[in-house]
Amino acid sequence: MAELPKARDFFESSSAAVGDHELRRKLESASARHLDHFAQVKAEFPPYEDEREAAHRIKTDAIAHLDELLIELTSKLEARGCKVFFAADAADARDYIVALAKAKGASNVVKGKSMTTEEIDLNDAFAHAGIDAVETDLGEYIVQLRGERPSHIITPAIHLSKEDIGQLFTDKFGIEYTAEPEKLTAEARSRLRAIFLAADFGVTGVNFAIAETGTLIVVENEGNGRLSSTMPETFVAVMGIEKVIPRLEDLSHFLEILARTATGQKLTTYTSFITGPRREGELDGPGEMHVVILDNGRSAMLADPVLREALNCIRCGACLNVCPIYRRIGGHAYRSVYPGPIGSIVSPNLFGSAAGYLPFASTLCGACKDICPVKIDIPRILLHLRWKESTGQHPLKWPRAIERARRGARRFATAALHPRTIRMLGKFAAMVLKPFAHNGYLRRMPGPFRNWTKYRDFPRPRPHKRPEPERPPG
Amino acid sequence: MAELHKIIASVKDALGAGARNHNSHAETLSAVVPVAASAQRAELASTFARELEEVGGKFLGVLTPGEVNSRIVSLAGEIGAKTVALGQGPASDMDAVGEALERADFRIVRTVPVADSERAAMRARVADAELGIAEADFAIASTGTLAVVANANRPGALTLLPTASLVMVQIDRVMPNLAAVLAAMGPEGVAANRLTLITGPSRTADIEKRIVLGVHGPKSLHVIVVWPHDD
Repeated sequence: MAELPKARDFFESSSAAVGDHELRRKLESASARHLDHFAQVKAEFPPYEDEREAAHRIKTDAIAHLDELLIELTSKLEARGCKVFFAADAADARDYIVALAKAKGASNVVKGKSMTTEEIDLNDAFAHAGIDAVETDLGEYIVQLRGERPSHIITPAIHLSKEDIGQLFTDKFGIEYTAEPEKLTAEARSRLRAIFLAADFGVTGVNFAIAETGTLIVVENEGNGRLSSTMPETFVAVMGIEKVIPRLEDLSHFLEILARTATGQKLTTYTSFITGPRREGELDGPGEMHVVILDNGRSAMLADPVLREALNCIRCGACLNVCPIYRRIGGHAYRSVYPGPIGSIVSPNLFGSAAGYLPFASTLCGACKDICPVKIDIPRILLHLRWKESTGQHPLKWPRAIERARRGARRFATAALHPRTIRMLGKFAAMVLKPFAHNGYLRRMPGPFRNWTKYRDFPRPRPHKRPEPERPPG
Repeated sequence: MAELHKIIASVKDALGAGARNHNSHAETLSAVVPVAASAQRAELASTFARELEEVGGKFLGVLTPGEVNSRIVSLAGEIGAKTVALGQGPASDMDAVGEALERADFRIVRTVPVADSERAAMRARVADAELGIAEADFAIASTGTLAVVANANRPGALTLLPTASLVMVQIDRVMPNLAAVLAAMGPEGVAANRLTLITGPSRTADIEKRIVLGVHGPKSLHVIVVWPHDD
């Protein structure tokens, strides 16, 4: 990661995003449409819950046997003529891929959509080496043209309107302005087709790797993954160590749920089973195929019995679509390649403690857990990470305000142990705050207490016990 | 390879930290579904047709081998194709298809095994074709999917590069679901082949979640289910 996210940046970017009504409109409409599709395909597919349970079980079991499965996968891939490289961190992976591209004299690199290559900042590495690397997924192509990063792991350009994209194409290509998705897509198709036919080096991610058969599975809708993996002479697949599943027969359980939750489709348009370099006489496939298997903090997650569950993630993006935080601030505000609830778990672990503020960017409402196709208990892991942060197990540079809040909470805890003190403080507070209350609620408090009421009304403390607060006015 | 051992070692260490289940892999849920009996074939084919249309594909019907060639010739005319690319299939007589198209004055690109020096030229010819014809090894009824195996005689480019794609499939190869297709192919079959599952024409929803067909792959996908004479 070139830019390590910092808590202060996140407060600034999320505050700005909350005020961006246009962004909010785009996010709300895209998420709502997505959830509609999902509800529909789920209702039409009664075995959904069974498949979900099976996927959860298979993945949990695979993660518990990861070492054996990685050895099996590696030997199967090598037997088929693939070169396998294990990268301990992002720099290892980048250096290997860029050195390979240089050694091959590659000048036209095409990339299929891959979050893992975003994670290792591969595009920057290519740029520094003076090699042109083109993102070929339409959404990724658009954000690359804008010099941005994807703001959603499935729909990279979710933060842009068709008018934004029309203007972008006019600016970049000098074509007549249009905001029609069909025309914009056709323009991108013809430009990218020429690039594909000349490409000499291809890179894609991997959705699943089957240990039993040494097969890499890539799912996509556009065909750019198929083109990136079959047209260039050299092809590199990049995968995290957690992508491996034991057997071929496990695959259908994942494919039956992945597209349904990710895009509301029953199956994505294309599912490629990649089995190595081309054989004698074949028109498709690379002459040389490399597989980069990336750790980059994943084995550290594996070592933590609570965090380990997060390695079950199949990157469907559903937790983003249901998250009340994501839907208000969008992907960019997180300042991390992986936004949303799952991003708040993996980012601090993949990118270091500088992203340790992210587990706090959650209301713990549990919508993510409910929709997760592999049943990851995201709120529980977020709480675990918060605990790690606040007990200093995961040192973090706290903004001073949070440090103060923590001290305050500690004092309150001390006071709460003494019933007489707490009753006295309660009476005192009720007396002092009475003039500020209106209809039983504090709308605005003075001085250091201002932040308490900045985003919500605070029930007025009362001297007499009253088990339930009054209903808010209106 | 030193890295491999280091990472495997760190994975192993990490696993040592938690409880570990030694009962090998999780037991499977997937039932092997037998190839449907003749009586059920029509029903599977009609489910397949419905699902195919739902994802934007065009179902051209269940045809006998005698009807197939003339239907292909008329399709090529309907979409305004000049050049048609085709290879071999697992069951259908593609040479006869090619001859029928030639008689109707379409230019034909026959994909044959290529040497390294001919590859770029052959790809360009396939990419310039307006229609690519291929035969699927299996179809999946529940999702409207085609399982197409590519090799030297039938390249995957046929279902990827031309503007329109036509795929044939034998009716006894229409399976109820994905698990049945994977079971029928088996681990050896999958490992030895270049398999692609195709569910509808190439599409995107990257611009305001509006669906647009034909991003990188074919803009249209046409399917014929072939019902052999002797059935």
